[in-house]
This record gives sequence, C-alpha cells and structure tokens, in this order.
Amino acid sequence: MADTTQSDVVFRPKPSLPPPPNTVGVVGWLRKNLFGGPVDTILTIVGAWLIFTLFYSLYEYGIANAVWTANSYRECLDTVLPNGEKVGHNGACWAGVGVWMNQYIYGRYPDEEQWRIQLALALLVLWLLPFWLPKVEAKIQTGLSCVLTFPFLAAHLFLGGEASIFLMITSSIALALFIAVWLNVITSYAMNKSIGKVLVGVSGMADKDDRLHKYVLMAGFALLLVMSLIYVSSWDLPEVTTQAWGGLFLTLTISGIAIASALPSGVVLALGRRSKMPVIRVFCTVWIEMFRSVPLITILFMAVTMMPLFLPVALNPDKLVMVIVAVCIFASAYMAEIVRGGLQAISKGQYEAAQALGLNYWKMMTFIVMPQALKLMIPNIVGNFIGLLKDTTLVSIIGLYDILLMVKASGQDPNWLGLHSEPLLFAAGVFFIICFAMSKYSQHLERTIAGGYGRR
Amino acid sequence: MAVIEKGGSSSGSGGKSALAFINDERFRSVFYQMFVGVVVLLAGYYLYTNTAANLDARGMEVGFGFLGSTAGFSVAWSLIPYEAGDTYFHVFLVGIGNTLLVAAIAIVASTFLGFVMGVLRLSKNWLIRNLAAWYVEILRNTPLLLQILFWFLTVFALLPSPRQSLEPVTGFVLNNRGFYFPSPQPGDLFFLTAIAFVIGIVGAVILSKWATKRLFDTGQKTPVFPISLGLIFGFPLVVFLVTGAPLAFDLPTLQGFNFVGGASVPPSFCALLLALTIYHSCFMAEAVRAGILSVSHGQTEAAYSLGLKPSWTLRLVIIPQAMRAVVPPMISNWMNVVKNSSLAIAIGFPDLVAVFMQTSLNQSGHAIEIVAMVMLFYMTVSLSISLALNQYNKSVQLKER
Amino acid sequence: MSMDTSTVDPTSGEYVASTMSDEVVIELVQVNKWYGEFHVLKDIALSVNKGERIVICGPSGSGKSTLIRCINRLEEHQAGDILVNGTALDTNVKNIDAIRRDVGMVFQSFNLFPHLTILENCTLAPIWVKGMPKAEAEKVAMQYLERVKIPEQAAKYPGQLSGGQQQRVAIARSLCMSPNIMLFDEPTSALDPEMISEVLDVMVGLAETGMTMLVVTHEMGFAKKVADRVIFMDQGEVVEQNTPDEFFNNPKSDRTKLFLSQILAH
Repeated sequence: MADTTQSDVVFRPKPSLPPPPNTVGVVGWLRKNLFGGPVDTILTIVGAWLIFTLFYSLYEYGIANAVWTANSYRECLDTVLPNGEKVGHNGACWAGVGVWMNQYIYGRYPDEEQWRIQLALALLVLWLLPFWLPKVEAKIQTGLSCVLTFPFLAAHLFLGGEASIFLMITSSIALALFIAVWLNVITSYAMNKSIGKVLVGVSGMADKDDRLHKYVLMAGFALLLVMSLIYVSSWDLPEVTTQAWGGLFLTLTISGIAIASALPSGVVLALGRRSKMPVIRVFCTVWIEMFRSVPLITILFMAVTMMPLFLPVALNPDKLVMVIVAVCIFASAYMAEIVRGGLQAISKGQYEAAQALGLNYWKMMTFIVMPQALKLMIPNIVGNFIGLLKDTTLVSIIGLYDILLMVKASGQDPNWLGLHSEPLLFAAGVFFIICFAMSKYSQHLERTIAGGYGRR
Repeated sequence: MAVIEKGGSSSGSGGKSALAFINDERFRSVFYQMFVGVVVLLAGYYLYTNTAANLDARGMEVGFGFLGSTAGFSVAWSLIPYEAGDTYFHVFLVGIGNTLLVAAIAIVASTFLGFVMGVLRLSKNWLIRNLAAWYVEILRNTPLLLQILFWFLTVFALLPSPRQSLEPVTGFVLNNRGFYFPSPQPGDLFFLTAIAFVIGIVGAVILSKWATKRLFDTGQKTPVFPISLGLIFGFPLVVFLVTGAPLAFDLPTLQGFNFVGGASVPPSFCALLLALTIYHSCFMAEAVRAGILSVSHGQTEAAYSLGLKPSWTLRLVIIPQAMRAVVPPMISNWMNVVKNSSLAIAIGFPDLVAVFMQTSLNQSGHAIEIVAMVMLFYMTVSLSISLALNQYNKSVQLKER
Repeated sequence: MSMDTSTVDPTSGEYVASTMSDEVVIELVQVNKWYGEFHVLKDIALSVNKGERIVICGPSGSGKSTLIRCINRLEEHQAGDILVNGTALDTNVKNIDAIRRDVGMVFQSFNLFPHLTILENCTLAPIWVKGMPKAEAEKVAMQYLERVKIPEQAAKYPGQLSGGQQQRVAIARSLCMSPNIMLFDEPTSALDPEMISEVLDVMVGLAETGMTMLVVTHEMGFAKKVADRVIFMDQGEVVEQNTPDEFFNNPKSDRTKLFLSQILAH
C-alpha cells in the first residue's frame, strides 16, 4: 500500500489561465451566438433588419403618427401631421379606443354600478392572497372555499335586484367564509395562531377534550353566518340584467366559471373513464369523446338552439346561463383527458403501496394518486385554462357582448365607423398579457415543484 | 381493491349481519352502475318529453325529409358547384367541401411553417432563436377568433377596390373582393402530362426502394434526390412540351367594376386560411421543438463517433426518434385545425357550420336533425384521425423490457 | 500486489501481455480547453503508441472525460494540436470524418439507438459510412456480437436488454467499424455491480487482440491487469503517469497518494 505520509513530489496545480479572448466575453458571445459562420451572419443581418422594420413601423403607427384626442374616426383620419400630410391609416386612432375603453372592459354595465365588479375583483384577489402568505395554514381549505362559494357572491353582486333565497344564502355563506379566511390571516400574523386555536382559547375550552373543539368552531361560524346573512339581506342593489353584462368583465366571468368547474368535473369524468364498471365507463367515454371531437361553436349553437327545445317552456333559461353551461361541458371533456394522462403517468407501484396501507379507493385517490398526478399535470392544466380563456371569445359569434364583440361594435358606431385595427390590437394586448403571464407562472410553478420532488 | 376486501372481511369489519352485502364489492359495483344508468335514463326521458311537448307546441315534426326539399338561399362561395335550387342535403355537402378545403390547405401550410419555426427555435443563432420564440409566444397567446377578425377587418378590408387592384404577378389579382388567379384549362393531350407526372412519382418511389437495395447489396450509394426531382418534374415537363403544351390559362380580367374569368376565393377565405395557418403553426413549432429536444444529445454523439456525417445522423438517428414525439401532438393539432375552421362563421365564409348549422337551421327550423348531422360529421373526422393515430403509436412504440 | 482489494474477478490474474509498438498513433501537444471561463484542460501533452493500453483516472471534474472526447472531436479544443494517425484535428470536416471512422468510442450511458435492433445498431455505420453490403455487414456484426457473447439478442431492441448487455452491444457496434483506436468513457460507471465484470471481460478480451485503448475508469483491477500506462489527472492536468506497477505501489505525488487512498479505502 502506498505510504501517504511522505511524498517525493508535492502536487501544485497550474494556475488557471484566462481563455482566449475571442471565445469569452462580448466578443465570444457574439461569435458563438450571432456570427458563427457566413450563413449565421446573413441570418443575423436579416433578423436584425426584420426586427428594426417591425419596431420602427410599430413606433410610427402606434406612437409617432398616432392620434390621441378626437371626437370621431373621421377626425382621426383627417388630422394633419407636422409634415403636412393627413394621418389616414398610417397612424393609430387611440382616441376611439379611449372613448370606448369603459365598454371594452364593462360592456353596457351602468357606470354608477361598476364599483360592484371592482369590489368582486378585489374580494377575489384578497381571498386568494393567503396562498402567497407563508405563515397562513389551511391553504387548500382557503382555495376550496373560494372556488365553491365565490361565484354565488359574485353573481349576487353583479345581478343585484331582488335576489332569490338561494343566492341570498349562498352569498352569505361566501361572505362568512371570506371573513373567516381573513380573520385566520390576521390571527396567524398577529398571534402566530390559526383562528381556530384562538377561538378555542377564548372560549376557555382549550384544556377540554379535543372533540369538543369543533362545536366551538361551528358556533363561531354560525354567528358569523347570521351576521353576514343580516348584512347581505340589507343590500339594496339596483338590478343589472345579464344583457348589460359585457366586455372583458363578461369574458373573465364565463372563462372563470368554466375554469373553476373544469378541474372537479374533469377529475370525476377521468376517474369514470378508468373505472372498472362498464356502465359508468361507457357513459364517461362517450361524454368525453363526443364533446372533444366537435368544435366549441357547435356546442354553443346547440346550447342556444336546442336547449330551449329540451327544457320546459316555463323555465325560459337565460342565454348567458345556457352559454356558461355549454362552455363548462366543453371544458370538462378536455380537462378529463388531461387528468387521465396524468393518472396514467403515476406508476402502478403507487396504487399498490396505497392499497397495501389499507386505504380505500377514495382515500387512495385523494391522498396518494391525485396530489402526484395534479403536480405532473400543472403545465397541461394551465395550458387548458389559457385555451379556455381564448375560446371564450367564441361567445361573440352567438351574440354575447364579450370583449371581442364590443371591439367589433365600436367599429360599427356611426362616430367611429371603420375603427377596427386599434381596438383589435388593444384586445390582443389584453389577451396576450393575461395568457403569457399564466404560462410563465405555470413554468415557474413547474420548476419549483420539480425542484422539490425531482423529475420523474 | 379486491385484496383489501378479502383481507377485511376476515378481520370482522363486515361481520355476519344481514347488511353485510352492502360492503360487498360486487354489490356496490352493480348498485353504482344501476344508479348512474337510472339517472341517465331519467334525464333522457325528461329531455325527450320536454322536446316532444315543445315540438308539438310549435307544430313541428322530427325527420330527415326536409333534406330533399329546396334550400332556396344562395351560398357566397363553394368548392362543389351549387345553385339556388339545390336541396338542403346538397347544402350539407357544399359545407363539408368548403370546410375540408380550408382545413386541408391550412394543415399543409401550418405544418410546413411550424416545422420551419420549430427548427429556427433551436437555431444556434441567438437572434433567430428569439425571433422564432416571440413569434410563437405572441401568436399562440392571442385568441384565434381575434386573429381571424384582424386579418379580415383590417388587412383584407383595406385592400383597394377592383379598379385599383394589386397585381404583383400578371394574372394574380388581390382586391377587396377577393383573390383572383388564373384557372388552368387543360387541352386534349394534357392527360399525357398528367400520366407522366404519375409515372414520375411511381418511378421515384421505385428508385428509392432500388437505391436502398443497391446500398444493402453492394454498398453503393445512389443520388436519389436529384434523379427523383428529374422524374417527378422533368419528365412531365418534357412530355408537356413534346405534346405541344396543351394547357391554357383563363386569366382574370377587369370588366366594368369587377374581375371576370380565372378562379377566385373571397377575402373571408384568405383571412381564415391565413389566420388558421399562422395560429396553428405555433403549436406545430412547439411539437417539433419538443420532439427534437426529446432525443438525447448522447444519440448524436454516438452517431458522430461512429463516423456518421451530421446530415446522415439527422436522417438515420435523430428524425426517426423525434417523429415518435412529434407525430401525436401534430395529428391532434390537425384535428384542431378542422374544428377551428368552423370559426369561418364569424367572417361569413360559408363553411359547414355557417351554411348548414346557421342558415339552413334558421330557415328550416330542424334544429335536432341539423345539429346531429353536423356533430356526426366532426365526430367521424376526428374519430378516424384518432384511429389512425393509435395505429401509428402502436407501430412505433419502442420495445422495452 | 498486496493491495488487491478489487472485488471483480476477471480483472485479477495474469497480466495481459503488451503488444505495444513504437509507432505513435495519437499525439497531443500543449492542448488547452476552456468551458467558458473554466480552464478544463491545461497544457496536456500525451503521445500514445500503437497497441498501447492507457487507463486514465482521477477525481470527477479533473478533465479526463473531456480529454478523450477531444480526441474524436466531440469537444473542440481551443489551443494546441491533436494528431491522430498523423492527421491533425482542426476545423477541416474531412479530417474529422477520417479520424472518427478510425476511432471507436464507448459511452458511460451506452447511447444505443433505441429505434433500431441490436443488429441494425451494429450494421448502420458499416453500411452508411463504409459502404459495406448489408449481408457482409451483418456477417461482421454477428462475429462481433459473438465475441461479446450475445449473438442470440441480435433481433431484439436495446430497451429489452440489461445494462451490461447494452454496453457489450455498444462495444460490438464500435468494433464493427474496425477501428484502430478505442476510447472508453467510464464504460462501467452506469452499471450494476454484477454487470461490471461481463463488460470488463469483453474489454480484457479486446486488449488481448492488441487494440490501442484509452480507458477512463475507476476499475483499478482492470488497470493493473491490462494497462501499459496509468495516467492520473487532477484539475485539468496530468499529475502523474507510470506503469501500473509503479503507479500503484510507488506513487510519486502526494495528490496521487491521496486519491489512491480514497479510492482503495473500502
């Protein structure tokens, strides 16, 4: 064995030298990425020229020659540029977009009632905020309470008028849950305890049997519910019918409901399709394949032409409700296939391990399989949400005034006749920002989760 | 599941009570299925009675008899000839023809564009790579319908009137009435050129088979590509010239306020085709990029170390493996092209949905039959595509232990 | 040979007689390479004779894999010269092709082509690169598959084979091009212990035929049995090179001693 104590030669590593100057730094980067060879250089020049022309013409159209204040499209076109020429189609008429902006966002929703939409949006953001607050626990309960009850509260706010008993109660529950979530946030940060523990402590039951604690919580929630019921029934909101809903607000409402309903219904359908029971499997398979293989527009047409035939005349369902049902059906079928793909990626060993632990089917699915599958599916799920948001624009074809139909309508307004490209570019920008942000966030989520669990 | 139940019954949770069968797996299974079956049947019955009552109230009957009666409206543009006196069934076929035409061209064009974009996204050139990436990101994150409207309302609507038409190449005319191009008028002997073309294709196929055999037998390589090019295009050209160039073109010409002669497609067709092609090329590009990235770099290194040139490495090692990952998303994307061509209705191009599900339905009132027929068409198309896809997947599945 | 701690049997026993000649087949002069700012190969000088068997070892990140990957231009060196069979490796594509045809390489992760059968893996390069008729290529491939002792797997796909079998196919695949030089980049590192010996067996057999071999490995038993020379690398330079006997029993550098004590500690 070699003797490690005495050495004839002591190893002194040579110093690291800097690399040849043309392989690193700005020069190296340029050589590697832009001017690697003659073909590369030509491509770079062509690309640079493309980018320059594109940006320059966009600048000219959108900023340099743009008209920001005008009372009609004609006025925009006839505005004289410093060089003495008329703007015509060489400059954007942002004035028209400005005039119509409120309608693009709220549709025909009355101006003095738009605070209700803003309030609902604020409530939604606040409700979901605890997700990003590290100290707050019970994130899943927070999310579920929001998804399950917020739509009713929002519907009550948006509709106003004489609310039905059903809406009254569900929106009260939503309000009570919202307050409970935020009380929890406040106690979590102020006292480092969840609201439940605080309540139990205040009631003096902390040293009693744990099983009694839930009665304290129930009593606390009941009190909250009664208070919010009293508050909600005191609302006196003027009615705004769904015909007045429109713009980005309507787009987000429809796609929001579709997105919220897609995951649960997709999971049920996917499990049904994988079920060993033939009747359930066949039903789910037919449902999924049928609605996946036809275009959304045919489902929407079906909803508005056939739903009135299928239902009793007396019911006379609202057009918006029928459209939302149609979009939800469509979304459920697509989501089911994504969930099925995720379930297939879970190895058989996970099912076997869960069964060996004695978990029954629903517990196995809830605690072992679904959490893993959902993590795998995040990119596909978000991709599907983005698709749904984009597909919601199809409701404009059957005459719902979503942002796209509002945009079209502004070009048919006698004052702004022919104003098309500017509103369309505005709408494209809105969609791009929302969709791009969603996809980037999903990539971020995917990375953080993959970091925690390792790639499969 | 079965394992647990067997283990559980002996440990006594089920016991011997009269209600033990509730915990029996088979009983539960039958019960659930019956429950779902009954609910579905009840729902079906409810819808059926409502529909029957509603139809009764409107004095309508369900049946396909109306398909034989005259539609009586005009169709703006059709691939299959159509006249105002034709039947509803003919309208159905006209719609299918228009839908398939737009979809087929869009599929070919978007696949080609998508391949180019996908490869450019992997370019070593930073600028090109990012240009392609932003092309994909911007266009796939805005709704297709919005893009269709954009092309239709702002680009094609702003084209000049027929008198000031754009005519970049003689015979190809672009104005706000549509795109006009020469229509070929084959002469008597033109069939010979067509036959020569078919022979050229067959010859090229035989040549490539023969070249492979020659390579395997003797190790000699054959320049298949240039010879095939000659066979497919050169040979018919020679025949065409020898037979006296029997092909005339009917050029569109301006007469009064419009062009006559030649062939034409309306602006709505151009806008729809352009939007479909560009939008779907983004998804193709993503599929191609992911497919190429799915082949590990070790495969390239192994091929290089065996002495294979980069071009052969691509052809023999990378592409066969990448195709497994590219083809499935590509085909489902083709399916989406067919479905999304139904957005034609937003700009008035007479596709199946516009001409049948809207106009015919509004005129005849036979909602149930018409909706069923349209859905059946789309289901047939997508089911046959997914059958083909399953077959492909089965044939290329890698064998593993 | 007091320190024979190797658990792998085929590598113990008789030393395989060297068939080394005086002819130099690989010559590296002052080779330098950087990954970005990182100096990975520092002034490497190395000449390899025909039939010589060299084992390269060293801690991870010492540049040993990079070194042999430079020899068939899977990595590009930025300074110095590399000559293989007298041909200089530069940007000339013809030279690179010629050298790659003559130098076989075996990878840590096998890199078999999963869409081709074992036989097709072996015949692909002979048919397309050498222009060998298919029948002949198959005959040659079967000979080499027999030599690596898996002719019966010829019709299967790589995914159906064990790691050890796959690596043996990879060796056969390289041999089908009848190279004069074989490079091995940690050929047994990705294998389960019981499969290492079947691969080393094949490599010992290859050494017996007089093949020029450069092997990056930590299998010290293999080095003792086969190597003409053991090269120890650290931080991008050759620290020490010697005959296996001298290298293991009488290392000169403190760094070598430390490395040997770590690798042979268990």
